[in-house]
Amino acid sequence: MDFVEKRLTQRAKRGDREAFAELIEIYKDKIFQLAYRMVGNREDAEDIAQETFLRVYANLHAYDESYKFSTWIYRIATNLCIDRGRKKRPDFSLDEEVEPGQGMDWYSRLSSNEKGPEDKVVTQELQETVQDALSQLAPKYRSIMILRYIEDLSLQEISDIVKLPVTTIKTRIHRGREALRSKLRFM
Amino acid sequence: MECREMIALIHEFLDGEIDELSNQKLQSHLQACATCRRHLHELQRAIAFVQSASHVHVSPDFTARVLAQLPAPPKTRRFSNWLRNHPFLTAAAVFLFLMTGSMFASWFEQDDTLQISSSSMDKLKIDRERNVVVVPAGTTIDGDLVVRNGNVEVLGKVKGNVVAIEGKVVLASTAQVAGSTESIEAIFDWIWYEMKNLGNDLLPILP
Repeated sequence: MDFVEKRLTQRAKRGDREAFAELIEIYKDKIFQLAYRMVGNREDAEDIAQETFLRVYANLHAYDESYKFSTWIYRIATNLCIDRGRKKRPDFSLDEEVEPGQGMDWYSRLSSNEKGPEDKVVTQELQETVQDALSQLAPKYRSIMILRYIEDLSLQEISDIVKLPVTTIKTRIHRGREALRSKLRFM
Repeated sequence: MECREMIALIHEFLDGEIDELSNQKLQSHLQACATCRRHLHELQRAIAFVQSASHVHVSPDFTARVLAQLPAPPKTRRFSNWLRNHPFLTAAAVFLFLMTGSMFASWFEQDDTLQISSSSMDKLKIDRERNVVVVPAGTTIDGDLVVRNGNVEVLGKVKGNVVAIEGKVVLASTAQVAGSTESIEAIFDWIWYEMKNLGNDLLPILP
């Protein structure tokens, strides 16, 4: 996998758009997932994901190949999410919570159709509660919890992404876990 | 007091980084302490909830939209890509460039002095005043005779081509030239002549 990505980034660096399109295909859902869990709505998350890939493209020449490509792209996306959060904080919208099925795409709807209607409501509720608990975390904890438990990355890779020592990552994960526990314990 | 210590161990345990000794300590504490047991259980549940958050997918036209927004590649890059994709044409272009370069150079670098190239120089007579190279009657020159910046007067025999660059070839009635005679006066004639020579060199078998 790493080898394939290395080849693709080298080709993309030379201006090969097909190679870049393949990189988008590999990472689009991961980056969108991270952004969605960070900002909590599809529209902003797609904006961030798009901006991430545009920045990757614009900075390919500066990409240091001694890092994993995933580390680099996750770093760009994480920074964009945190910046967006800073700018957007004052004008949150009440509509977002009202709109049903947010963040649930056709795939998850199809799969949840197989369950009974009651289960569907429960799943929906659980989804919203989890998203709610995440969005109540401070961004510096939220991003790390998402990278750890939704993107399923190792402590070392998270440390590379946010450029902080592993011990700091651990402390944040411990606190993040405690915060999530206190919000989700009555589920 | 002991429980607070144990919470730290629980987190190490959840990170998968607990050492054997601490793990034993933790496990025996958990068996005795219901509070810590519940704490661990709640943490594990919270993690499981977050992990179960359904995986969202970006809209299907996402890749196309990003690609449409990419800036146009800079011209130089396009050019270098083109070169990379057409190695043969690139090589041919470089070759042609160097060749015309050397041809122009050999044209412009020449001075006005009379230059003769022939395999039998001793048989030629040079008329300095008229700036003419004479092949005297009754002599035979083997091979080509090339003269720069002067005329050629052929009275005798030449078993090859006679070429005058920036000059004229004058054949007397007694002249016998086995090859062709050529007068080259303009740079394009010169280029054409070089090309022809090159062609002849590259295709020696053809007549």
